[in-house]
Amino acid sequence: MKCKKLFAVALTATMLISAVPVSADAKETLNFWFPTFASSDGEVTDVEFWEEVIAPWEEENNCEVNVEIIPWDNYEEKYLSGANSNNGPDIGYMYAEMFYDYIDNEQLVDIDEYFTEEEKQNYLYYSLGNHMGGQYGLPVVVGNPRILVANMDILSEAGIDAVPATTEEFLAACQAIKEKTDYTPFLQDWGNSHYGVMGGIFWPFFWGNGGEIVDEEGNLTIDSEAGIQTVEFLKNLYNEGYLSETCTSCDDSIEPFRNGEVAMIYAPSSNIISVDNINWDFVAVVQGSACAKTFVAADSLVLFESCENKELAADLMKHITSADVMSQFHTKVSQQPPITADDTYVGDARFENLFTEYADNFVSLPVFQAAASLYDYLFKNLQSMMLGEMEPADVLTDTTAYYNDNLKF
Amino acid sequence: MTKKRRETVEGILYVLPSFILLMIFCLIPIVMSVYFSFTDYNVMKAPSICGFSNYQKMFQDAYFVASLKNTLIYVLVTVPLQTILSLVFAAFLAKKMSDMKTGGFLKSVMFIPVIASAVTAGTIWRIIYGADNGLLNSFLGIFHIPAVNWLGDTNTALISICIVAVWKNVGYFLVIYYAGIMGISREVYEASAVDGATSWQQFWKITFPMLKPITYLVVTLGIIWSFQVFDLSYLMTGGGPGKSTVTLVMSIYNAAFKQHRMGYACAQAMFLLIVVVVINAIEDKVFKEER
Amino acid sequence: MKTKSEKKWNLPSVLGLIIICLFAVLCIFPFIYMVVMSFTKSTTLAIHLNDVDFTDFSNFTYVFTKSGFLRSLLNSLIVVACACFFNCLIASMAAYGFEKKNFPGKEIVFRIYLITLMIPGQVTMIPVFIIMNKLNLLNTYFALIVLIINAFGVFLIRQFMSSVPDELLEAAKVDGCPEYRIFFRIVIPLIKPVLISLVVFTFVTAWNDFMWPLISTTDSNMYTLTVALSLLKTQYQTNYGLILAGATVSFIFPFILYAILQKQFVEGIALSGIKG
Repeated sequence: MKCKKLFAVALTATMLISAVPVSADAKETLNFWFPTFASSDGEVTDVEFWEEVIAPWEEENNCEVNVEIIPWDNYEEKYLSGANSNNGPDIGYMYAEMFYDYIDNEQLVDIDEYFTEEEKQNYLYYSLGNHMGGQYGLPVVVGNPRILVANMDILSEAGIDAVPATTEEFLAACQAIKEKTDYTPFLQDWGNSHYGVMGGIFWPFFWGNGGEIVDEEGNLTIDSEAGIQTVEFLKNLYNEGYLSETCTSCDDSIEPFRNGEVAMIYAPSSNIISVDNINWDFVAVVQGSACAKTFVAADSLVLFESCENKELAADLMKHITSADVMSQFHTKVSQQPPITADDTYVGDARFENLFTEYADNFVSLPVFQAAASLYDYLFKNLQSMMLGEMEPADVLTDTTAYYNDNLKF
Repeated sequence: MTKKRRETVEGILYVLPSFILLMIFCLIPIVMSVYFSFTDYNVMKAPSICGFSNYQKMFQDAYFVASLKNTLIYVLVTVPLQTILSLVFAAFLAKKMSDMKTGGFLKSVMFIPVIASAVTAGTIWRIIYGADNGLLNSFLGIFHIPAVNWLGDTNTALISICIVAVWKNVGYFLVIYYAGIMGISREVYEASAVDGATSWQQFWKITFPMLKPITYLVVTLGIIWSFQVFDLSYLMTGGGPGKSTVTLVMSIYNAAFKQHRMGYACAQAMFLLIVVVVINAIEDKVFKEER
Repeated sequence: MKTKSEKKWNLPSVLGLIIICLFAVLCIFPFIYMVVMSFTKSTTLAIHLNDVDFTDFSNFTYVFTKSGFLRSLLNSLIVVACACFFNCLIASMAAYGFEKKNFPGKEIVFRIYLITLMIPGQVTMIPVFIIMNKLNLLNTYFALIVLIINAFGVFLIRQFMSSVPDELLEAAKVDGCPEYRIFFRIVIPLIKPVLISLVVFTFVTAWNDFMWPLISTTDSNMYTLTVALSLLKTQYQTNYGLILAGATVSFIFPFILYAILQKQFVEGIALSGIKG
């Protein structure tokens, strides 16, 4: 009986204590949110990495930094609930699709004043953080272009000796592989639940055909010649059997590529490096009907208005983006090109010139209202189209109508 | 203090804690939900009244309409299937194996999916359903049945999820039915056996009618749960491919926590509430009349 | 006694038995598959039984040490224990008040309780999120626990409460037994069977709860097992061994509990069905 009572008291106590939010002590605290980059077989996990590199800074500034790693899949939801409650980040990490709403609601800080001219000069992509008339982001991961990667053994079996560099060559290669080998010519991860994969499966073709997502006034312009051409092109790949039939449930195209099951995929440059058992080669961009473009990430650190000590937070942002921390990030966690002038490229030699040579061909997504929700909807429609539920021509019309009726105000 | 007064105070004090919780976390939120459903609200800015526009938008929103359709299909597939299976299994176990150890064992085994969370079940089944060399396809391959792209095809994705739901729920309802059948007195069966009734006739003439209250409960619970389905499709397909497994609750979740449209999400939630209440009322009537 | 005809094992019954056995196998097989696969490092779905190494616990070590499963397991246990305890306490108090005490308007209030049973939790989720946010209670155990407590328990226990004899309570009162002692010493022991039923019911609900923890926790130290497992899936898409190790961890605890308290589980659910 005593035991039970004690148990009851303990439970009540837990409940009461648990109701009190963890109160901050005298020490300054900052919340730092970052997405996942490390792979499960990497030498460190994301949390371990960030806690380790931030520790000296914490010591120096007598500040405690809470590192929170947010997985990609429900990234936006976590930011929304975090930023609107008092549990959000002080320093966060955002991609282009997220900016508009947070800037519009005045939740982000224009960080320009916290940086000296000299520091700004040192950042290679400082201007990419300039959105909607303010410096709302500090670019931190600029890279990971989606490149066309090919398994050269399969290609040579089909009698091809170079990775296709134009759409025509690409189609010809698909046909040759389909006819002469048992392998799947091309694979895209249409089964992924996040629209982010469109960077590798839709935008390169769309831009290559001369498409633009929005015009200068922020009106959606995907329902264009280029858009329709792209949608039909993709549908055609599927109909012709160039795309694996199971691509609609595939959520990771690299794994089948690593297993040697497919000839060609689009992959983020830093992810393909881990494939070391396949004789692969790549082209950075494929010449489409209008130009040669592909998606590149230009993600930034952001500072939230709710942060109490912005000065200190800006200093942490500088620490995180310093050559020292970034070069460790690039070697231990994710191979990306340097973001500052005083940092050197440490990644795979094959990609060393990628970012200088093709800078003009790399495009990142525009910042406009409800971009994330639009992409989500567009992606769902594209999936429906691939499955034959929706006519290619309707995809863009329906998406545009939905955007104008529901998402844009 | 009179005895009566005292009792009143005591009574209120006993009920109070639960009533406060009910008030704050159920009744007040309902009122708020109704209010928000008539506003544009994105949490960051104060809500602004917009009349019925949320409700009007709802039925032009292809995403919502798809979610409605999917949820209805889901309810129509899972509820009858799980009710019938659990009833038949329970009747069989009660009749043929009630005093055998095997019967108890089978019952326990069938209850195991109930204790696993929907997230666990979804995680496992997503892998089992895998299109390339997934367990199910490999198994079918033994019989030379061509591989099916279970979760990647519009025609099979929703049904695949329904199957998991049925798989997970049968044990629960089986246990309820079993207890109900064991509660029917044996004399009734014996009397009918003397009259020469076959097992099949006994089932239809005795077991089934006497279990009506339990069937009512099983169907009601089944319907309410099915309308709330979220975990399984969130885990297994994320609503895809296309909109083929988007459910009503997922549509609410998306509107609220992805699109920042709390008002619109509340309007959808109100719709869900109305549907559940109406179905309950209809079902109540059907069962009461027959009783 | 059963008559002979009932026990006859004719062809249809044997067929029935086979079907039921197949279904039972179907019920258990995915879990066996899960446990077996959690000992592999496979990134393809094809089953290579020789990859299975039951001495290799690295997937489990990984989810515990690197994916925060230890903390999540603890969170889930705390939430479930508190939810069961408070749900029983608060519900039996209310049920006692409704059944054994008289106060004006009590039947109307009880009707409101009954009506709320019909309301799907998702209908109130958005306002509750906003309320919790305003009260600064997101990311607390309180937020995770309190939503588990609902009118169902009150309803369930009240059905049972009527079987507690009034005379007994009266006699205790005449003996000068204080009110709280009557409740804890007499009423609670008498309604024990239904409390077990409610504990089982609450346990299953709380352990399965997914959507609310997903929405209300942004701090990874507050994730429950269901949330942690769902994130594992998104993070390591094709590392099936690892994902299934996570699933095994989230399954093993309720399974052990079920194995020990099998009778209580089954009877608890059955009771909630008959009384409900």
